[in-house]
Amino acid sequence: MLCLSATLFFASCSNRTVTRIDPSETPDISGSWNNTDSRLTADEMIRQSLSEKWLTNHLTEKGKKPVVIVGLVTNKSHEHIEAETFMNDLERSFITTDKVGLVQSGKKREELRAEKADMQTNASASTLKKFGLEKGADYILQGSINSIVDAYKKKKTVTYQINLELTNIETNEVVWIGEKKIAKYVKN
Amino acid sequence: MKLILLSVFCFSAMAMQAQTQLAPDQNPNYLISQNKYMQAKDSLQGNMNATIQQTYKAYDWYEAKLERKQNRIQNRNERRLYNNYQDYNYYNSGFNNYGYNNYYGNYRYGNRNGYNNFWSLRPSIGYRTGNWWFWF
Repeated sequence: MLCLSATLFFASCSNRTVTRIDPSETPDISGSWNNTDSRLTADEMIRQSLSEKWLTNHLTEKGKKPVVIVGLVTNKSHEHIEAETFMNDLERSFITTDKVGLVQSGKKREELRAEKADMQTNASASTLKKFGLEKGADYILQGSINSIVDAYKKKKTVTYQINLELTNIETNEVVWIGEKKIAKYVKN
Repeated sequence: MKLILLSVFCFSAMAMQAQTQLAPDQNPNYLISQNKYMQAKDSLQGNMNATIQQTYKAYDWYEAKLERKQNRIQNRNERRLYNNYQDYNYYNSGFNNYGYNNYYGNYRYGNRNGYNNFWSLRPSIGYRTGNWWFWF
């Protein structure tokens, strides 16, 4: 009984340590999707989207930078993956490079319109923002995440395939498909 | 009468104008689709800039093994709890044949019906049972 009490006491006294690490060097712990995968995906998508010819084609045809709206990303993998992490990196690169224009979408756009509606009755006339002056997007960015799992006994391979597609809103023409594959070998 | 004629004329003029405003190579029936999607746009745009989770459960031999083990432990615990509950009810009901309550509570080797079964042969004290109350 004494041993049991001592064990319980020392178990309850075990202290947890937390160490700050570089986000770019997140170690693999469980083998699941993690920050490193998100970063690798974002880097590859940024590189592909800003270097491929859809951009020059648009500039040649229209004479101005394309405007993109972000649509839906469907996660059809075996894990919960939030695409917003790498999508935000991609959106940020559009703005920082100034090669692609970006317009707000989804819930944030709804909030903007609600704010604009509120202004119609509350803001001063000189600061009032008008409806009907939003910039229309040329392309919509949509994506999907898929995975393939092969496991036997304590060995497992997981392959993630992330695809992003850029489609011309007026013509439905797909002008760019970005792809990133990540394969992992996990041994328990 | 003049008002009706004027209205008909106005509608005809608007229809003619809509026809003439077609972009090059535009489908003349585009308004059918446009009206359809104008009504549904709010519900269709609700998930924009979001991730839809349509995940599946992948079969993992090792994880399935761990899950089976966990289920076995859980089932065993539930069975033990149920048996303890039954014993408690029996010994405290006043209808047992021993004449005193809870005497065999921790050291029983048979069930209340007088014959042994597999689970009742197992000790009810120790690490596997989670019961450390030796003195009761």
